[in-house]
Amino acid sequence: MIEIWYAILSFMLVMFVVLEGFDIGAGLLQYVVGKTEAERRLVIAAIGPLWSWHEVWLVSFGGVLFVAFPTILAVSFAGFYLALFLLLWCLLLRGVAIEVSGLIAEPLWRAAWHVIFVGSNILLAILIGAALGNVVRGVPLGASGKFSLAFFTNFSPGGNVGILDWFTVTCAVFILVTFAAHGATALVLKTEGPVHGRSRRIASFLWKAVVALLAVVTLETWQVRPELFSGMTHKPLAWLGLVGVLGGLLMVFTSGSSKRELRGVIGSSLFIAGLMIAGAASVFPIMLYSTLGPEYSLSAYENAAAGHGLVIALIWWPVALIFAVGYFLFIYRHYAGKVKPSTDTQRPY
Amino acid sequence: MEDTIFWSRLQFAFTITYHYLFPQLTMGLAWIIVYFKWKHLRTGEERFGNAARFWARIFGINFAVGVVTGIPMEFQFGTNWAEFSKFSGNVIGQTLAMEGMFAFFMESAMVGAMVWGEKRLGPRNHFLATVGVALGSWLSGYFILATNAFMQHPVGYSLAADGSLRLASFTDFLLNPWALIMFLHNQCAAVVTGSFVVATVGALYALRGKYAEQASLFLKTGTLVGLIACLLVAFPTGDQQAKMVARHQPVSLAAMEGHFHGGTNVPLNFIGQPNVAEQRIDNRLYMPDALSFLAFGHIHAQVQGLDDFPKDEWPTNIELLYYAFHVMAGLGTLFILLMGIANFQRWRGKLETSRGLLWALMLAFPFPYIATTAGWMTAELGRQPWLIFHILRTGQGVSEVVSGGNVLFTLIGFTGLYFVLGVLYLFLIGREITHGPQIVSANGQLEGSHD
Repeated sequence: MIEIWYAILSFMLVMFVVLEGFDIGAGLLQYVVGKTEAERRLVIAAIGPLWSWHEVWLVSFGGVLFVAFPTILAVSFAGFYLALFLLLWCLLLRGVAIEVSGLIAEPLWRAAWHVIFVGSNILLAILIGAALGNVVRGVPLGASGKFSLAFFTNFSPGGNVGILDWFTVTCAVFILVTFAAHGATALVLKTEGPVHGRSRRIASFLWKAVVALLAVVTLETWQVRPELFSGMTHKPLAWLGLVGVLGGLLMVFTSGSSKRELRGVIGSSLFIAGLMIAGAASVFPIMLYSTLGPEYSLSAYENAAAGHGLVIALIWWPVALIFAVGYFLFIYRHYAGKVKPSTDTQRPY
Repeated sequence: MEDTIFWSRLQFAFTITYHYLFPQLTMGLAWIIVYFKWKHLRTGEERFGNAARFWARIFGINFAVGVVTGIPMEFQFGTNWAEFSKFSGNVIGQTLAMEGMFAFFMESAMVGAMVWGEKRLGPRNHFLATVGVALGSWLSGYFILATNAFMQHPVGYSLAADGSLRLASFTDFLLNPWALIMFLHNQCAAVVTGSFVVATVGALYALRGKYAEQASLFLKTGTLVGLIACLLVAFPTGDQQAKMVARHQPVSLAAMEGHFHGGTNVPLNFIGQPNVAEQRIDNRLYMPDALSFLAFGHIHAQVQGLDDFPKDEWPTNIELLYYAFHVMAGLGTLFILLMGIANFQRWRGKLETSRGLLWALMLAFPFPYIATTAGWMTAELGRQPWLIFHILRTGQGVSEVVSGGNVLFTLIGFTGLYFVLGVLYLFLIGREITHGPQIVSANGQLEGSHD
């Protein structure tokens, strides 16, 4: 039961990072791939009407964490207090920017919202990267079973750490570049004309940077949590994740021709999903690792909700998932294919 | 610790009060748009199509602000109320997770298509998307009210060995009688807000002598739906809600009414200022025996007063609770009066020409917001000093590791952001209303109408 709920949570987080990674990545490249006002509008149209459906994966992840591992939710949300609120504010600003920037056909209005849009996307990528880095590195959990993280302490990834240190900053840069590459790859699929051409050029450059940064992050992880790699050997799901990472990269680097745009997006998603799966499988069953001593780490087994609540949730969760995917398909089939300024940008006046 | 509790309560109160200004219009307006779209689908009359498009644009802006201010609410359970989350997550996590999985996915998939996708989806699917948004928003309302109902009147739980709560009966918890009645009361109030806003815009256009066809449609729809909803808010839903408070939270009822000393044949206070130190109501106007009758069905019924309860169980802010309840109930009564007069004039065929009435309708729109806010303050202040009634005190639920300074930092951040958001919202909504409903020109293009 506990393994199932850990898997469900990992799945929801993977969905969030893959889908939202595209929105964030495409969004932060808005000024790079869009040189005119119309081209920048096209980037927002490519993100499309389903951006908040993507964001709901995070909200629902929070809800499911609440019901399955309430202690983990309580300890981590309170511990990451300031960083979480920064994340929420960025989501808030970005959502408003997407919704209102197109309402008025006035260059100043658009420029202001586009700058807010790009800025909050960059900050979101950094925050998500740093958050993932914190989960891998661990947090200063003591005997009280609680922690509180400042933004930074002395930038050392051991002992009394802050949210940012040289390891999590590397993770943040890695996620920033990965999201940008992911977003550019998807823009290749969703657009045509100059935006398409620029996205293709920037994507091929960014993916090389992703590979270089992946090597750096892997080496640093080896330094910070060496036991993760030795533990991986007897975790088949972690190997599956690694296969996804390599297969995804292979697909991305062989998607150069115009007939293979979809292959690039699948490969890019597979790369991100594979990384997350490998990470989730190798840290299991520890959900919050303590940098102060392994005995203080919070394990999924000891912190799962008790009683028959999880059994009941296991009945309604798949039903809800089928509905959720159904709504997505009902809407998405009307939006498949390349976006066109004539049908997809908001009618301003 | 005390300052963390204070700032966390203030932050939650501020962010939830602000947030709920938007979903109440979403939930009320959604079904009115469904009605316009349905009439358009059935009759093919363009005035209904234009009405639906106009309100969908307002809805889109309103919904966006509702979504972005709603996400922080969900997260504050964990960030600011960690001990509460740890203690009760096994139970209330169910409804919070179900809200995301069942309601948010539905709303978020449909809303973009509803606001911007009429051309992409075609009439039938666009109608379905609109219904989906309406259903999703009401479903979301139910799950969050079931969560709140557990805090007001906990059922379906047991105490686990580690001292935390455990789900004992899923159906008891989900179908909490408190949740059912509060849902009906709250949703009717949301329809009041939606219909008042529609009537307000209709009255504005009628007074300005613009868009006569739409003005009449908005006025007729708004006042008819408004009257029905106003009546339902008071009876039976409001009445049942009050009886439920009388049965399960007698101390809250006593504080709401400023009823200090228990007894029989208890009067109902209409106006007056609670003097808690002296334990009386100053300058009071009252109706004899009415509280006994309303709470328990007969005029001789015994109603417990505040002095029947130990002081540490009294709601912590009796004065504010008293005013919140009286503002809500007083406004609710005035709404019935206003909508009753409007429907009388409509029956005489003079709705669009009674200038005094139109002025009143045009200026009425803030008051449903005030009434719903006061209603929620009644519910939440009445629950104090408990976070979960008679189980967990508010101070016991706060995050122990978060300092008051951190909470004040985020509270200041929210205040600034929400101020900007509010100005932006009013500007954009004002712009839509000034621009007016669109008409469809001969070649099928949507154009602004400038008659």
